[in-house]
Amino acid sequence: MLFLTQFRFELLKMFARKRTYIGFAAFLVMEIFVLFMLSLPKPQAHMRHLIEQNGYAFGDYYSGTTVAMMMLLWTTTLLGSLYLALVAGDLMAKEVEDGTMRMLLCRPVSRVRVALLKYFSAVVYTFALIGFIGLTALLAGLIYRGYGGLFVFAPEQGIFALIEPARGIRLYLAAIPLLALSMTTISSIGFFFSCFNMKPAAASIVTLSVIFLDFIFRGIPYFESLHPYFITTHLSTWMHIYESYPPWWRMTKDYCYLCGLDITCLIAGAAIFLRRDLK
Amino acid sequence: MIRLDRLSKSFGARPALHDLTLEIPKGQIFGLLGHNGAGKSTTFGMILGQVFPSGGAAYIRDVSVQAHRLRALQGVGAIFETPAFYDYLSGWTNLRILTSYTRRLPKGELMETVKFVGLEERIHDPVRVYSHGMRQRLALAQALLPRPELVLLDEPAEGLDPEGIHEMRHLILRLNRERGMTVLLSSHLLSEVEQMCDRIAVLNKGRMIFEGKWTELAGDALRYRLDIDPWEKGAAVIAEFPGAVLSENILMIPPGSDIAGIVARLVHAGIQVRAVEPVKQSLEEIYLTLVSAPA
Repeated sequence: MLFLTQFRFELLKMFARKRTYIGFAAFLVMEIFVLFMLSLPKPQAHMRHLIEQNGYAFGDYYSGTTVAMMMLLWTTTLLGSLYLALVAGDLMAKEVEDGTMRMLLCRPVSRVRVALLKYFSAVVYTFALIGFIGLTALLAGLIYRGYGGLFVFAPEQGIFALIEPARGIRLYLAAIPLLALSMTTISSIGFFFSCFNMKPAAASIVTLSVIFLDFIFRGIPYFESLHPYFITTHLSTWMHIYESYPPWWRMTKDYCYLCGLDITCLIAGAAIFLRRDLK
Repeated sequence: MIRLDRLSKSFGARPALHDLTLEIPKGQIFGLLGHNGAGKSTTFGMILGQVFPSGGAAYIRDVSVQAHRLRALQGVGAIFETPAFYDYLSGWTNLRILTSYTRRLPKGELMETVKFVGLEERIHDPVRVYSHGMRQRLALAQALLPRPELVLLDEPAEGLDPEGIHEMRHLILRLNRERGMTVLLSSHLLSEVEQMCDRIAVLNKGRMIFEGKWTELAGDALRYRLDIDPWEKGAAVIAEFPGAVLSENILMIPPGSDIAGIVARLVHAGIQVRAVEPVKQSLEEIYLTLVSAPA
């Protein structure tokens, strides 16, 4: 019961800070920018070509859901990593730097509990941010293009799908928590580095470096045989939900890999925090 | 209440504290003195289980902090040199957050403590608009919730104005007298320590160089400031008294000696005695003598 009270206060601490909302505001701006880009003739022509060459009507599938899906795809991968790393990197390191962690640990509370509270608040933030992005993108897309079929094209994942309107919306909404679950891994890595004796900014930079390096190395053909070991390979598994027959077994394996990584980051981070001197 | 048993700490190759053994009985106000880097904050950190000792152990009510931190810290409150809060939240919310890590407290108990530290009018303001004195009071309030038996105060009067220092001193003394709290206090304001502490320990470069009542250090000799004329003739008269030492205008006489007898002799010898004033050695003088003495 006390854990829930403490967790509520942990969320209050996080969501009462203005900097927590930088990510939310940045994504709103980004979505407006993407909408503007999509209204330009050339990108539209490219989409038209992709849809019409498969025998479908452009007007039926270039809808609000499709636009929302494109915004989600383009904004979350890099910008999402950035803001999650910023918030997760702050989690422990900022409290240690500010001195509030020492105030807190004067009390009969275990360090493991403090680490758990912080980690769960990072998970909540991840789901809140991704949920916000997903829903605002859908709203903006519906206002811009209206209701219609969903077109998904992700060559790297081998996905080319044209989905009828009602199912398209359902799949879009189902993809949001799956994407959030994937992105939790970035928050977990941020949490892990935040437990070390380093500045909050350093923890965020190291987290981003890990993700970007993973992304870059995965793109190098020489490392193709190592693809199953790259984090970013598994991060994009949420997109398979749009396939006609989603590869559930593969998606489950990917999420097991990511959850394993999350738990490792949590345990290793807590173990480091447990042995640290706080001065 | 607190027992430190051969407590040592090194940060890498740099020793911060060496074999500190100390016992602080229940109900005392105990002062921990030392220059910056002497090891005071490290000692506080180890008593609270925030710093891991390289050797030895700290006990609170005979419970090892290192082995059973949660049990040892039941009934302990603490404040640090620069108390940190969630500045964007109100003082009240800060108190609720911090106390939630001990147990759920009724609002009445919180408000009672807020009133005790005199912060009731501003408790719902964001901490970022608090003055330094108000932050110190808020720090004290959180340390007092929920009613600890022991409070550790690291520089509680740091940065306060004279009025704030006076108030803080009275709050600490009230806590000790009215609630019987044991207080471990570190401060650079030696006049405050002098007025509050029953006993002190002095740390120098990580080693304890004194522990006990500071008045013990003043020695037993009686000291007086003298103004006599002519000085040379008076000094010669004083020299006739066994054990009496005149250094500049300070006269030291052995315990049991009678200053009145000396004054009578001086007057009888035709020496004009303008003033005889007893001199008390301050803690500051004693402290400076202690820390500047060769190891």
